[in-house]
Amino acid sequence: MGLSTLRNVGYRGLATCVPKTVISNMDCPPAMRSERERLVRNIGIHERRICYPWQCFSDLAFIAAERLLEELNWQRNEIDALIVVTQSPDYLIPATAIILQDRLQLSHATIAFDINLGCSGYPFGLHVLGAMIQAGAVRKALLLVGDKCATLHDPLFSDAGTATALEFDPDAAPIYFDLNSDGSGYRAIILPVGGHREPPGVQHFIPRRDEHGVDRLPYDLQLDGPAVLSFSTQRVPPAVTQLLAYAGAAQESVDYFLFHQANRMINETIRKKLRLPEEKVPMTLHDFGNTSGASIPVTMTARILEPLLAGRKRLLMSGFGIGLSWGTALIDIECAKFPELIVA
Amino acid sequence: MPDIETFIANFQTAVDFQDPVEIRADTRLTDLQEWDSLAALATIVMFDMEYGKAITGHHLKACATISDLFALAA
Repeated sequence: MGLSTLRNVGYRGLATCVPKTVISNMDCPPAMRSERERLVRNIGIHERRICYPWQCFSDLAFIAAERLLEELNWQRNEIDALIVVTQSPDYLIPATAIILQDRLQLSHATIAFDINLGCSGYPFGLHVLGAMIQAGAVRKALLLVGDKCATLHDPLFSDAGTATALEFDPDAAPIYFDLNSDGSGYRAIILPVGGHREPPGVQHFIPRRDEHGVDRLPYDLQLDGPAVLSFSTQRVPPAVTQLLAYAGAAQESVDYFLFHQANRMINETIRKKLRLPEEKVPMTLHDFGNTSGASIPVTMTARILEPLLAGRKRLLMSGFGIGLSWGTALIDIECAKFPELIVA
Repeated sequence: MPDIETFIANFQTAVDFQDPVEIRADTRLTDLQEWDSLAALATIVMFDMEYGKAITGHHLKACATISDLFALAA
């Protein structure tokens, strides 16, 4: 599909919820301090948020959705569709979106399903839900995006849940998209155990030493850093340029460029390649780490809340990662609701 | 044509050594304490931004010395 335009889709609001518990990447034995400082300097991530063990991504998204519905004063029976974009479902089956339909007391007539995407997920979710609205059957809808991906031993990932409200609006400005997939890179970020290719077994509870001498469990997330870095820095800049050209929009007309918060090296390379000024590229890596698909909404809530509330803003959003997949959206937002960051 | 002195200076900046370290063309990468996964990422970025070359982790694994790395920039 690549490039496309959606019309009649109004962006009505966004709420973001992060867990209370903060973990610092600098929390380490004194002997490791210098090494950790180098790591933090280069990945740009100082603090991360981690769920309680009992807390799921859906618990954060539920709180965000409740807050947003209250802010918008939308009635529960008006919600025609609920889409969840996550790779941290409550259960392998059924879909978390259907559980949330009931938890949020939405009508049985609500279409609810999950989309299995991670870091690239926000533009994809906006497009799927927006296309349903453009088609005319759905008037008001919710998009819940996020993941529970933080662990104590990796320095990158952080937890968050977000809720976005879209509504049919014949006066809404067009939203432009560029959505892409490259499954040849599926091994670059993979959780190899637990699906039908490799069902879980006792052998997966035995740590194995990797090429860097680190003991890992086979069911840990595996990330090929160089492959992800090359993919991100080679694919994203031309995708941004291509979408702006398709939309007939000058780079200068964009108020903020919101990139998935991967790590500082990746994000800075993308920014420099596009020659974007720092003030137009808000970042949340330092305080919130890599919050997977939630990172674009987290950055909107945590960094540009006041400008978004002050008046019409043109945002370019770019998500990229697991799949591999990458999606870009150009959207004008005006008169939407943006509650303060929720901590739960 | 890139020169090796500038290349070594760029490499030292990219790898972000914690203590000053002398690097020559024949320095073996595995002798450098900071030659780790972070350094590999930084080196890939350096090739992209300073030399317009898209190198991969496979390229890096095939390099034993600074001189081998420098050959990729040419």
